[in-house]
Amino acid sequence: MPSRAGTPPADSPRDEPSETPPSETPVIEAPALIDAAALIEVAGLNRVYRRPRTSLTRPGEAVHALRDVSLTVRRGERFGIVGESGSGKSTLLRLLCGLDRPTSGSVRFDGREITGLPERGLRFLRENLQIVFQDPMSSLDPRMRVRDLVAEPLVALGLPVGGRVAELLEEVGLPASAADRYPHQFSGGQRQRIAIARALAPKPKVLVADEPVSALDVSVRGQILNLLADLVDELGLTLVFVSHDLAVVRHVCETVAVMSGGEIVETGPVDDVWARPAHPYTRALLEAVPTLEGLL
Amino acid sequence: MLSVDGLDVHAGPVRLVRDVSFGIGPGERVGLIGESGSGKSLTALSLMGLLPEGVTASGRATLDGDDLVGVPERRLKRLRGREVSMVFQEPMTALNPLMRVGAQVAEVMTLHGRPRAEARERAVHLLGRVRLPRPEQIARAYPHQLSGGQRQRVMLAIALANEPRLLICDEPTTALDVTVQKQMLELIAEVAPALLFITHDLAVVASVCERVVVMYGGRVVESGPIREVFTNPRHRYTEGLLAASRLTPRGTRLPTIKGSVPAAGGFPDGCVFRNRCPHATEACEQEPALTGDGHAFACWHPAG
Repeated sequence: MPSRAGTPPADSPRDEPSETPPSETPVIEAPALIDAAALIEVAGLNRVYRRPRTSLTRPGEAVHALRDVSLTVRRGERFGIVGESGSGKSTLLRLLCGLDRPTSGSVRFDGREITGLPERGLRFLRENLQIVFQDPMSSLDPRMRVRDLVAEPLVALGLPVGGRVAELLEEVGLPASAADRYPHQFSGGQRQRIAIARALAPKPKVLVADEPVSALDVSVRGQILNLLADLVDELGLTLVFVSHDLAVVRHVCETVAVMSGGEIVETGPVDDVWARPAHPYTRALLEAVPTLEGLL
Repeated sequence: MLSVDGLDVHAGPVRLVRDVSFGIGPGERVGLIGESGSGKSLTALSLMGLLPEGVTASGRATLDGDDLVGVPERRLKRLRGREVSMVFQEPMTALNPLMRVGAQVAEVMTLHGRPRAEARERAVHLLGRVRLPRPEQIARAYPHQLSGGQRQRVMLAIALANEPRLLICDEPTTALDVTVQKQMLELIAEVAPALLFITHDLAVVASVCERVVVMYGGRVVESGPIREVFTNPRHRYTEGLLAASRLTPRGTRLPTIKGSVPAAGGFPDGCVFRNRCPHATEACEQEPALTGDGHAFACWHPAG
């Protein structure tokens, strides 16, 4: 049962500027100041880290983790971010989630700027955006029972817990008895289900999944990807899906941004990027992944 | 060359690996695939005599007539790193952070009796052989100064140092980026004398090996030539695993294997896969034997 109906992008009133008079010369995608369908808008984002200094006279070396990154995630969209280690995808994710501050640039969530806000000003973001991490072994506190793990985001936000834990466990396909057990008593796939239940607790609009299936066995990977797809449909979620595997992103997402060296080198509908990669890096990435179909 | 016959691994009363048999010929590249808990890594570790404390192996495994299982440490020491060597998954934890990598490559040779100066010289040569740029400089670097892919190449140089007859690789590319993985796989296929390649990734195994052994629940459930097994799987587990690793178009359901891999010791009697198998019947309470020449499988209701 969907607990909250999603807003399909087509319903938004200010979305389509297509009713321009036909006599005019066709307007070529004038950059709209406010895109009502946009949920996350990233503009000109830079993040520079400084390495620890190695000399007394010179400051540490600067590392450009993100260079001028801009992207828009629309409501209800499944947006994939692909890149290898060091590509800047984790830095971007941390900034999207308000876990780090950019050196320059802006991140707007639902029209509100989140960069530079103190933690107490980020409540609207914490309620509406939740994360599922790669390794459910290290993202779940081994000393907490599943009941408390799943309820923790609610408690932290001061929201009522009530019967929500049982509801969430059912949603992710775990038995109610799971609530009394500890994370180590579950397999990797089940732990990832717990992590998903926990992320969904405050009824977020956006689910950010950071390599959610990379640590899982092949036979359970499908279960988790199916579950994510079902939840995104039922709850009308917007999904930001980070992976190193373009094939997985192609199965899950409609849109993809390929990152390399702190920049987005290519972005667009995932099927186009898959079939006709424009950037040499994307091509190299596609060629490097061994596929059974290609080998047999 | 390598022959494993009826290998069992126990942790106290729990049998973790049961009756595993396979062989590797000279120059052959064999893949050992399975999910976590399938016993694939324990099988490899027992061939190296590196099982953790409290875990014991029994059965028979020989490399050109030399016993590998159930022999005293003193005899194993002479084989390990010389006749059989291994590349582990995590190059960060497998290398000594306080030692320059050249010295680490040389160490495995001096331990097996090569003079120190000669070992040093050869270490640089080996680092070049695994295609590290400027091997003289790399030899003087510490592991933390290298990238993950470079560290894994150093591991490979160590493994190859004494020209072993058999190289065992346990998920050597799992921690690496895909573009680096591709180079590493090509390199392994090129330099390995005979290879036992352990992985959970079917596509990786298909790109490196000629033959495959599929493990589940500590048992070999199917084995045979890669192309044969992957295009015409007979065991229902192999069939399910292959289906699950093919990503279908967006908006469609991915095929899955129901349930999850049981914890060690929690596998059912009879056919180990029967509690997850859609074709299981009463017959599966009896243990199926691994039968077949070339392409062998242990299933009462085989596919195809």
